[in-house]
Amino acid sequence: MNYVSVTTGVISLILSAGAAVAEFPERPINLIAPFNAGGGTDLLLRGLAPHFAEAIGGDVFVSNMAGGSGTVAASALQGQRADGYQLGYFSITVSTIQPQIRDVPYGVDSWTPICSVAASPTLLFTSADLPYMSAEDVVAAVKANPGALVYGSSGAGAMTHLTTVAAFAGLDIIDDMVHLPFQGSGPAVQALTAGTIQFFGDTEILMQRGDFRPLMVFNNERLETYPDVPTAAEAGIEAPLNELYLWGGLFAPAGVEPEVVAKLESACEEAVSSDGFNEFAANSGTVINYRGASEFDAFFRAQYEANSVLIEAAGLN
Amino acid sequence: MISAIPDALALLLTTEALLTLVLGTVLGIILGAMPGIGSTVAVAMVLPFTLSMGQAPAILLLLAVYAGSVYGGSISAILINTPGTPQSAATCFDGYPMAQRGEAGQAMGWATVASVVGGLVSAVVLLIAAPQLAALALNFGPIETFALVLLGLTCIVSVSTGSLVKGLLAGAIGIFLASVGGDPVTGQPRFTFGNWQLISGFNLLAVVIGIFALSEVFVRASKKADEISELAQFRGIVIPRWRDWTGRKKNLAKSVLIGNVIGVLPGTGAATAAFISYAEGKRSSPNRDAFGTGEPDGIVSSEAANNAVTGGALVPTMALGIPGDAITAVMLATLTLHGITPGFRLMEDNPTLIAAIFAGFFIINLLLLPLGMGLARVAAPILRMREGFMMTGVVLLCGVGIYFVRGNPFDLLVMGFAGVFGFILRRQGVPMAPLVIGMVLGPTLELTLRQGLILTRGDMTSFATDHPIAGVLFVITALALAFPIVRGTLARRRLSKTT
Repeated sequence: MNYVSVTTGVISLILSAGAAVAEFPERPINLIAPFNAGGGTDLLLRGLAPHFAEAIGGDVFVSNMAGGSGTVAASALQGQRADGYQLGYFSITVSTIQPQIRDVPYGVDSWTPICSVAASPTLLFTSADLPYMSAEDVVAAVKANPGALVYGSSGAGAMTHLTTVAAFAGLDIIDDMVHLPFQGSGPAVQALTAGTIQFFGDTEILMQRGDFRPLMVFNNERLETYPDVPTAAEAGIEAPLNELYLWGGLFAPAGVEPEVVAKLESACEEAVSSDGFNEFAANSGTVINYRGASEFDAFFRAQYEANSVLIEAAGLN
Repeated sequence: MISAIPDALALLLTTEALLTLVLGTVLGIILGAMPGIGSTVAVAMVLPFTLSMGQAPAILLLLAVYAGSVYGGSISAILINTPGTPQSAATCFDGYPMAQRGEAGQAMGWATVASVVGGLVSAVVLLIAAPQLAALALNFGPIETFALVLLGLTCIVSVSTGSLVKGLLAGAIGIFLASVGGDPVTGQPRFTFGNWQLISGFNLLAVVIGIFALSEVFVRASKKADEISELAQFRGIVIPRWRDWTGRKKNLAKSVLIGNVIGVLPGTGAATAAFISYAEGKRSSPNRDAFGTGEPDGIVSSEAANNAVTGGALVPTMALGIPGDAITAVMLATLTLHGITPGFRLMEDNPTLIAAIFAGFFIINLLLLPLGMGLARVAAPILRMREGFMMTGVVLLCGVGIYFVRGNPFDLLVMGFAGVFGFILRRQGVPMAPLVIGMVLGPTLELTLRQGLILTRGDMTSFATDHPIAGVLFVITALALAFPIVRGTLARRRLSKTT
């Protein structure tokens, strides 16, 4: 080996490294769903992937890494190289709640947020067979018979749990109610139908599963589909508990180069606004909510802070 | 529902729909037979293809893969002692010993016929009585589920071959292994020693496959060349003749019934059904003494029940829009993507589609017989490979299957350790089956017990007094435990009188 070949080798390596950024992506991009295939998050990613691939001009594939309410995938991704080839789709709970209530190796500074994709407000609802027509009815019933009424959740620290906690802590009756966690929304919805629990909170699409009556919506305004249902603020719940959105977006490990972030961000924007993805969203009840990298970063950090109030109210810390 | 059948048949008898059913069933059988893939993953794998299909073919494809995979799980259970899915773990108990006797074809025949009968009956039940059964499912809350799972645990006694104490110990180890990971009520990690990989606990399939398949490979590898028993000789499925069923029909009927009922109930699933049915078979079958040594009734108990669950699980899914398990949840999600809101109005609003789904499910179960036989003939030469290649293949297949599901190398480590652990336990004469039963039933047992305690504010006596269904199940559990003791005592007394 002589100096000339070594030098050319080094130079070509440097050149190719420079070119790698310019020509991102050189290899397929992996979108990681932190839940099982076939779940809501998985379906959303699989709906997004082809449009994302088209926008970025490369191959994109979806993989699943379920476990620990999404924390297994996030823990694994956090230790990966920050080259932009591995992105996780994390929800509000995976990215802001779980790291504050469990011992996981990631936190607020572990990520390069790329873009937000969706955000749906949650609702508090009860069974249509039950007599509670409004938040006041619930407060009166709890005051009359403390410890008798039960609210369900799909698991401690899940969005469904935080919704009920926001409602009942906001109404100051949570200490006189009982929390019954289930594993997943399906069994909880069944328990609400059967009368085992009296209240549950989730997004609009899930509420339509059963014969349920919405009591309030955690949105900044009333929903078009339910104009008679008050917002949480109207029902007497004060900020920051009055707005809750099940949001999610793409995250890369911290330290991705700005050029790569810019490429991923613009591809994400193009994919989210594509006709194909909008059709998918309309069919699946996904509420599209795009934010670019810097805006999403600020939003994510603000949510991380704000949700500590909820975590305290839920007694999860 | 029945009035919608003519329209439904028009929807079904198209080339696209029929081709979908055949391809889906074949794919399901193959995926189910691959150790580690399991029904949930098999269904999720074909999900992307359904996005471009019509409503009815999309759901039929998922159903075909689902039913096919439950049947396919029995193939690897019988031939290589590796349950392709946890629900066919009970099929190993008698299927593998039969295969070792050189009756692999017969064992597959029993499994196939039992699966088909179980599936067909559940399809008919679904068609006739889905709304009524769904109402029954609603009466099943956490406390009732707890009582049922407790009954399921009694089958540890049935499958503890050799030493009962060792069997109970293995069951306890299984329940303990299942408690590693997130606490079902608070969500906090337990027994993880700060390792985030354990936040979700041990991967059940990785443990099951390590314990059954890898330990078997280790046992074979540790034997001297002249000690090695012949590998299963398999030339194709041998369907049992009508007269072979003499004295076995009652067991078949009972197993189908158990599978149907448990399938309808939420949160239990095919594995529980197979275990309970196996235990009941061992208690009541005229051939009970041969259970565990390669008795066809054992295979029938497990396979008829786990296939009957598939139809049962569709009852709450279709009648209430509430998924009974992860697989039916995927189906409901597919309906959503095709613009149908699953919910309590699903059957009223889409009678033709639902009737087509039910009728399609019937056809799928009819297809299991010819397709299963055809696939077995294709697969037979593979199984005649030399043992060294065969065992290497088993390890490779298990590894790929387990890695594929989550893409997590840690699961491979878990599988390896489970294999070594299983090997040690086998050497000590500890039965493997109770460990798997403990691990499968443990999480549901704990979750429903603690939910029950929250609901009754910590009063356990009201589990039985305020919940009649649970009370009856507790009594049955007590009887199931007392029965062998009483029978043994009576037999001894009779023996001492005659001598």
